[in-house]
Parts: sequence; C-alpha cells; structure tokens
Amino acid sequence: MIKKRTFGTSASKLLIAVFFLAAVIYPLCTLLFKLKDADLKKIFSSPLVGSSIVHSVVVSLTATVISVTLAFVLAWCMMRTRAKLKPLFRVLLILPMLVPSISHGMGLVILFGANGKITRLLGLSNGLYGFWGIVIGSVMYSFPVAYLMICDILQYENAAPYEAAAVLGIPKASRLTAITLPYLRKPLINVFFATFTMIVTDYGVPLMVGGSYKTLPVIMYEEVIGRLNFDQGAVFGTLLLIPAVLAFLADIFCKNRANLVVTKPFKIEKSPLRDTIATIIPALVSAAVVYPIFSFVQLTFAQKYPIDMSFTWHNIEATVDKGAMSYLGNSIIIALGVSVLGTVIAFISAYLTSRVPSKSTRILHLLSITSLAIPGMVLGLSYVLAFKGSFIYGTFAILILVNSIHFFSSPYLLFYNSMSKLSGDLEAVGATLGVSRLHMIFDVFVPTLKSTILESFSYFFVNCMMTISAVSFLANAFTRPVALMINQFEAQMQLEAAAFVSVAILAVNLALKGIIALIKHFTKRRTRKV
Amino acid sequence: MESLVVKNLNKKFDGKEALCDINFEAEGGEFLSILGPSGCGKTTLLRILIGLVRADSGTITLDGKDITKASPDKREMGIVFQNYALFENMTVLRNVEYAMKFRPELKSKAHETAMRLIEQVGLSEHINKYPSELSGGQMQRVAIARTLALSPKIILLDEPMSALDAATRLSLREELKRIQNEMHTTMIYITHDQEEAFAMSDRIMVMGNAKIHQIGTPQEILAHPADDYVKSFVIDNLNKKIASLMKYAGGAQ
Repeated sequence: MIKKRTFGTSASKLLIAVFFLAAVIYPLCTLLFKLKDADLKKIFSSPLVGSSIVHSVVVSLTATVISVTLAFVLAWCMMRTRAKLKPLFRVLLILPMLVPSISHGMGLVILFGANGKITRLLGLSNGLYGFWGIVIGSVMYSFPVAYLMICDILQYENAAPYEAAAVLGIPKASRLTAITLPYLRKPLINVFFATFTMIVTDYGVPLMVGGSYKTLPVIMYEEVIGRLNFDQGAVFGTLLLIPAVLAFLADIFCKNRANLVVTKPFKIEKSPLRDTIATIIPALVSAAVVYPIFSFVQLTFAQKYPIDMSFTWHNIEATVDKGAMSYLGNSIIIALGVSVLGTVIAFISAYLTSRVPSKSTRILHLLSITSLAIPGMVLGLSYVLAFKGSFIYGTFAILILVNSIHFFSSPYLLFYNSMSKLSGDLEAVGATLGVSRLHMIFDVFVPTLKSTILESFSYFFVNCMMTISAVSFLANAFTRPVALMINQFEAQMQLEAAAFVSVAILAVNLALKGIIALIKHFTKRRTRKV
Repeated sequence: MESLVVKNLNKKFDGKEALCDINFEAEGGEFLSILGPSGCGKTTLLRILIGLVRADSGTITLDGKDITKASPDKREMGIVFQNYALFENMTVLRNVEYAMKFRPELKSKAHETAMRLIEQVGLSEHINKYPSELSGGQMQRVAIARTLALSPKIILLDEPMSALDAATRLSLREELKRIQNEMHTTMIYITHDQEEAFAMSDRIMVMGNAKIHQIGTPQEILAHPADDYVKSFVIDNLNKKIASLMKYAGGAQ
C-alpha cells in the first residue's frame, strides 16, 4: 500500500527531472560542445573581443555600484522612514521593470541623443552615447530589481539589536558598522552579484546607446544575428555564463537563513528632516523614471516630435500598418502560454521538492534553480544549437519553452517557500482521513496558495512581455514578440513606432498587474465576508 | 468493547533503535497517556499505530482484526497533530465536512454530522470562520471534530496542548475529557508533561529510550514505580513541581 502511494510521486519526480534535463541541461551541453569547433586563439586575439570584455566589466561594475547604492538608499527611504506618498512611489519605482531594457536605451536616445530633448536644451554638442549612456541606461533598467531585493532584506531585518544598542547608548554611526553592515553583508553581496549579472548580460541598453563602445553581449548579438556565426556566439555565450554562475553560487552561499525566523519589526519614530529627505529622493528618482516614459507617450501622439507637438493618431496607425498588432499578439500569446506552463511546472516541482521528501529531492531542487545561472541570451543560443531542425524550432512552442525555463527559478522559489511554510503534517492528515494526494493538492494546496499562483502568473507574464534576451535568436518573422521590434524600428529611424511599442508593452503589463490586483482584492474580500 | 493490542513492535532508524519490543493493550473508551521525554520514541509509536510509518516487526490488532499493514485511512483511527494541520483555505464547517465527502456511507449526512460535532466541541458560533481567525484552543477543537467525523474507534493525540498557554491548557483538559466521555472514544494521548498525564488518564504508559518502563493507573505508578527511571522521570519531577508550588504558596502566606 505504501509502495502504491509513492509510485505516482516518484513517477512525477522522474518526469520533471527528465523535463529539466531536456530543456536545460541538454541545450547547455550542446552549447559547450560547440566550443570545440571554435577557433579560440583567433577569437581571443581579436582586439575587438579583448576590448569588449574590458568594456563589459568596467561599464557593468560602474553601473552595478551606482544601481545597488541607489537601490539601497531608496529601500531605506521606503522601509525605515515615514516618507510621504509611499504607495505612489512603490508603484513608480518599479515601472522600469515593466518595459524592455532596450526601451531604457531608447529613452536615453530621445532625451540625450545627438538630437535629444535635453541635449538641445542644454546646448550639448554630442549626445550621451558610449560609456555613460550604457551606465545610465543600465542603472535605470536594473535598480528596481535591486531595490525590491533590498526591501525584502530590510523587511526581515531584526529590530531587536538596534533597540539593545539604543538602550546601551551606542552612537548611531557605530550602529551602522556594528549591526547593519555585518547583518546585510551577505545578502548585499548577493544583490550585487545578481545586479551585475543582469547588467553584464544585457544587450538592449548598449546596443541602443553604446555607439562604438561595444560590450560582449552586443558583439555576441551581432555575430549571431548579423553573421550567423554560431561558433563564435557559443564562445561569447560561455564567457557570459561565468558571471551568471558566480552569481548563482553567491546566491546559494550568501542566502541568509536567519531570514526565515520571525523577527522583531521596526518601529519608526517621526523625524521631520529625515522624512522630508526620504520623500524627496524617491520623488526625484520617480521623476527620472517617469520622464522617459512620458516622452514615449509624447513621441507616440505628437505630430512631429519635438517640433510640432499637436495630437495625432497617425503614428499609431502607421505602426499598426507595419504589423505591430500582430507582433503584440505574438507577445501576448507567448506571455499567456508561459504564464500557464511556467506556473504549472513551478507548482508541481515545488510541491515535489518541498512536500515529498526523498533522496532525489535535492537534485530536483538544484535542477529547478539552475536556470538562474543561465543568461537569457545564452539560453536562447543553446536552444538554437540544440533544437535547430527539430519539429519545435520556429514555433511558438519553443519560445514559450525557452521563456518558461528562463524565468522559472523565481516563481519556483516563491512556491517552494510558501509550501514549506504550510504544516508538515497536512499529507499525514490527508492519509489518515482517506483523502488522496490529488484531492489534497486541488482542494487544499491550490486554494491556500492562490495568491502565490497569481504572483507567479504575473511574474511570468510581465517578464515575457518585456524580454528581448532568450527569444532574440529563436523568433522568426511569424513568431516574433513585439519587444524585438523596438530595435528594428529604431534602426530604421522610426522612433515614433519604437516609442509606441514601448508604451504598448507598458500598457499591457500595467493592465495585467491591475487585473491581478483586482482578483486578489476581490477574492480577499469574499473570504472575509463569509 | 473494542480493544487495541500491540505485540512485539520494533523499529530502527538508520541502525538506531527507536522502538524496542513494545507490548501493550488499550481498552475501549479508555484514556491512555503515553508519557516520556522527547526522543523516547513516543511519536514514532504513534505514527506506526496510525500507519504513517511501518514497523520493522510486530503486530497491531484492533478488535481482533490485524491492521499491521493497513493503510492509515483503513484503520478506524484518527489523529490530532501538534500543530493541528487544519486546512487553512476552508471554514470550520468545511474542515469538518471535507473528509466525509470521500466516504459514500457518510456523504449524505456530512453536513448534519459536521454541525452536530461542531456543536459538541463548542464552536457553533465560529462555524464560518477560517483557521487563521481562531485561537489555538479553538483550532484544536476543530482538529478533534474533523477527526471525530469519520467516527474512529481510537483517537491519537500528539502533544496537542504544547502550543497553548497554561490557562487554555487547563480548560481544554476538562473539555477533552468531556468529549471523550460523551463520544465513548478511546484516546491515546502523547505527552511529556507528567502533570497532564496524571490529571487526565485512566492509565499511563511511561516510556524512555525506546522502551516501555511501566503501564498502570496513576495511583499504581505513584504507589509502585517499576524502576529507577520511572521514579526519577515521573515521581521526582512531580514532587519537584509540587514542592515549588508549595514554596510559592507558602511565600504568599
């Protein structure tokens, strides 16, 4: 009887493991095997490659330091002060996460480019291309993620040591070095690595504003898209794997386990000066975030930006004539597909690793978070190499699959943590009451985890709408998601079309977030009423 | 009267003895406590009785029926866990009703039965509340009602009071005894608290180091402790508690 009970779960574990082997490990190995075909000596002796590696490291380090510092300041304002307008900032500060990185690059072009608004306003001779362009664009694109991670860390920080320090009369400055930094060191290292990886593997921003300042992802993109040189692409991809794998290891070793215990929350006293500063800083950053988006909207609806600002539908009509709607449709199909597939697999995997302990659990858990260590571009190229010529190549299915894998680990961990928090005896209760595992899953786990399911769905959807990484090499003329059109429109000097696409992606993502919030609100109220 | 007979039960975990030659009987309607320190094997024994863990050797029979290898839901036993493990997404009513819907013979009367049981455990006014809106003592009563719904012959309770405060514990002791008397259900109650065991039980089984040291009524154990272990773990500890109570009471005078 006990054997019969475990058969289903063992089979599911095997199935999930096989899925990850086929969808993650196999393509990755194909990429690594490809290295032997590449002429490494020739590639690395090229001055372009050498300089792009240096560029990548320098520009990403600079942007990461700025991004994490900014994120920390913002998180502190939001979590440790009584700043005004917090609910508004909470929304505005994460807006950049809802548009593709390439839009941030384009925002800079519109504002600071050779013919940009601010360039002309200040009478600058040259636009903000190159090093500082990439730094600013990368900060814009990455700080909301770092900000959310740090907010999470601060939320679980224990107030008790600070209260003890206050009672003992330890000066405030010393508290920073004695309590805050030691406590936050590990999680902050983790944030730093994650942000660095995010920036160093992105091609959207440097492609738009890098100019002749080329980074590794840009030359990888040009090699694969422009010259179809897959061997060389594989070499660059492997190089990009290095920071991602380091970040992955940092994540595993730097996870602060103490976070899981309940800690004493902070009581925040009023402090007019501090609270004013803490309101001004997020306000300024929010303005910097909103301004480019506002420019996109202007660009979309202006007759001839920035000369004739009268309202017109013409730009949208022209973009729609270029097929923008069908590409937007593609994006939504992919995003919905990934949201469903990704959420289902993440739920099942997390259920198996958190609720059905066995010797294989550890391996399955590792497989589930491996995708964290693979940059989207690299994953995309691996898929090209592994699945070219197979039946799913060139279909929506492969785009849905690659995005599901690419964005898998965060929702998986979300499920894993929520499920680990539920009583460990639930399965035993089910067994003694004669309720089958499947019934327990559908009647207890799914309803209990409803909000996690919604969050997972929303995470997959939003990221699929804005991603340009894993899909860039895999999409064809029929399946191309709309985010990839931004680059193309910009290259054809159709800034209005590119701006409209960015606005459209933002609008769809905001709409989805709104729907999810409504569902949450609605179901919560009903629960309370009953 | 129904009775549970456990014979020669043995269990090892990774070569370490968790249960060694366990023999005992429980009579129908009896309140039997299994008393022992943490790690003595009492929870393992409970999990073997309910069928969540398989013993290496030995037999369990209930009313003459061998249930050693029966699945947990076929044993006519219920269990109340330490953390209650209620279904967070269901109201009190649905928690109690839920399992009955999978039993054809109970399904038609599920609602009535649940209403009656909830009334019996004194939660009628909380029928539509969710577990997160209940106190620890109320959650425990839901867990008991949920178990009673399948009318088991025996209810196993795994340290169900340990998460509650002292006052709730005292009142729930009475409550539990009352429910047992009304339902005539056998209860096997696991605890590490000597006072609790002595206050509630018809008989107490004292365990230590994977073995049973003594089974008897509270009076028997107090009068004739079987060995030094029982003396020190049960009697000395009880005496200490009484002495400290006396000291405080004396100090107050």
